[in-house]
Amino acid sequence: MSGPALSNRSALELEDIDFSYATRLNGINGALYKDFSLRIEQGSIVTIMGASGVGKSTLGRIMAGIVLPQKGIVRRSPDFTGPSDLVYVDQHPMNGVFPWQTVLENVRYPLEKLKWEGRERRDRICYLMTLFRLSPLSDVYPAQLSGGELQRLALSRCLSWKPKLVILDEPFSALDGKVKAEITSALHELALKDRMTLVLITHNVSDALALGMRCIIIAKRPVRVMSDLDFHLGFPREENTPDYDAMQQALINGIRDGLV
Amino acid sequence: MDWFRRNWRALSFVGGLIGVWAIVTALRLVDPIILPAPWNVARAVPGMLRERLFADIALTLGRVLAALLVACVFGIPVGLFLGYRQRAYKVVEGPLHALRSVPASALFPLFLIVAGVGETSIVALAAYPSLLVILVNAVSGAALANQRRLYQARLLNLNSWQTVSDVLFYEALPSIFDGIRTAVSYSLVLVVAVEMFIGLGERGLGRGIYLYQSSYRIPETYGAIMIAGTIGILLNWVVTKLQHHMLRWLPNVREEQ
Repeated sequence: MSGPALSNRSALELEDIDFSYATRLNGINGALYKDFSLRIEQGSIVTIMGASGVGKSTLGRIMAGIVLPQKGIVRRSPDFTGPSDLVYVDQHPMNGVFPWQTVLENVRYPLEKLKWEGRERRDRICYLMTLFRLSPLSDVYPAQLSGGELQRLALSRCLSWKPKLVILDEPFSALDGKVKAEITSALHELALKDRMTLVLITHNVSDALALGMRCIIIAKRPVRVMSDLDFHLGFPREENTPDYDAMQQALINGIRDGLV
Repeated sequence: MDWFRRNWRALSFVGGLIGVWAIVTALRLVDPIILPAPWNVARAVPGMLRERLFADIALTLGRVLAALLVACVFGIPVGLFLGYRQRAYKVVEGPLHALRSVPASALFPLFLIVAGVGETSIVALAAYPSLLVILVNAVSGAALANQRRLYQARLLNLNSWQTVSDVLFYEALPSIFDGIRTAVSYSLVLVVAVEMFIGLGERGLGRGIYLYQSSYRIPETYGAIMIAGTIGILLNWVVTKLQHHMLRWLPNVREEQ
């Protein structure tokens, strides 16, 4: 098994969370989450999987503190010192960048505001621009980028200041296989190097298998954890190997259990 | 050449209009006192410009620009702040819309009483509705700002000033420009109209039109009106160019949120 060593300390804990939307758009059985608990270990790469509309993004937003649960506790690691240590990256990469800033300005701006100075800042920008292959696009505005380029920009911006926990909502949904593989390997490198905890939210089996060390399958409703699987796979992930196929089958079974 | 190819529709429309005008006057379908021939108007223009209109145009433009400057300098920051602090906006929303409903020209006597007969009251009168329209547009632009980007402002610990200047300003800029375009036409209309009523030193484009008309110099009157129209078109063109430049980053499809 590769990847950052598991530590027993939690990056984030949800305890007995209740959450429902006030509008009751989803019918009368209102409660989306009821007594929901989850623990994310520091340095782990966790995938949260579930069917569309099950409440994955809501879970991500509860974890990030963007929406507050009606009941229960969201506990962050005491290592998290400022709001910038826990980042939720939106499904739409355009929401994660400032479209009025060029690619380079987008990567530089958060570092400036978080008081990264001089050489450290320059090196970080240079490293990220190279890792996500954005250097030739420095002076371009986000609106002129392709989908894959925009996703790379959104990620490099949100990861620029080395946040301790990053929640990525469907980061690969609009991307083809090649771009996905590039972004996956960049994310893997960053997670190792910066000791980041990553939470990936997805509905897609191959996305779930691309990076995660642990996969949590959730289903409705109220949302429960259907399966909690550990992946013992190296990186990069080789498809069509016996280990990969076994994990894929386990995931598919987990999802099927969630549907019935 | 390119310019002609891009603008041939507008050019042929203007050309057609002048053509109809020429035919109507050549056939003497209308009394030349009411509608002089286009060539008579054209012949009058150089003399008018030399006589007074260059100075008039400069003065009127100066007043319009001063009014717009005042409107932007106060309207944009106050509007953004009110859009950001919705609770403060709720307090002033009613009075603000009440003020907007009063025709600005009806307030002119008040401006004269408060500011006296002078440049200040002309500029203030034009600035007043311009400021309100820019302010209201800035408020709604800021209120509709992308919440996910405001989340980023919180992540990065931006203070209120940085949030307004670095995020909300840009989020509201398309809407602010809509306000500015409306304000440009408000200002020009009001400045020209007020100049007709009070000619400070008998100057200003509005005063020029009024004086030509009252001395029955009809070709000159038409000429001055057409010059005023041209200035309106040019101002609008300048604002459009500025808008395209300042919003060159704008995504075509607003698929966010």
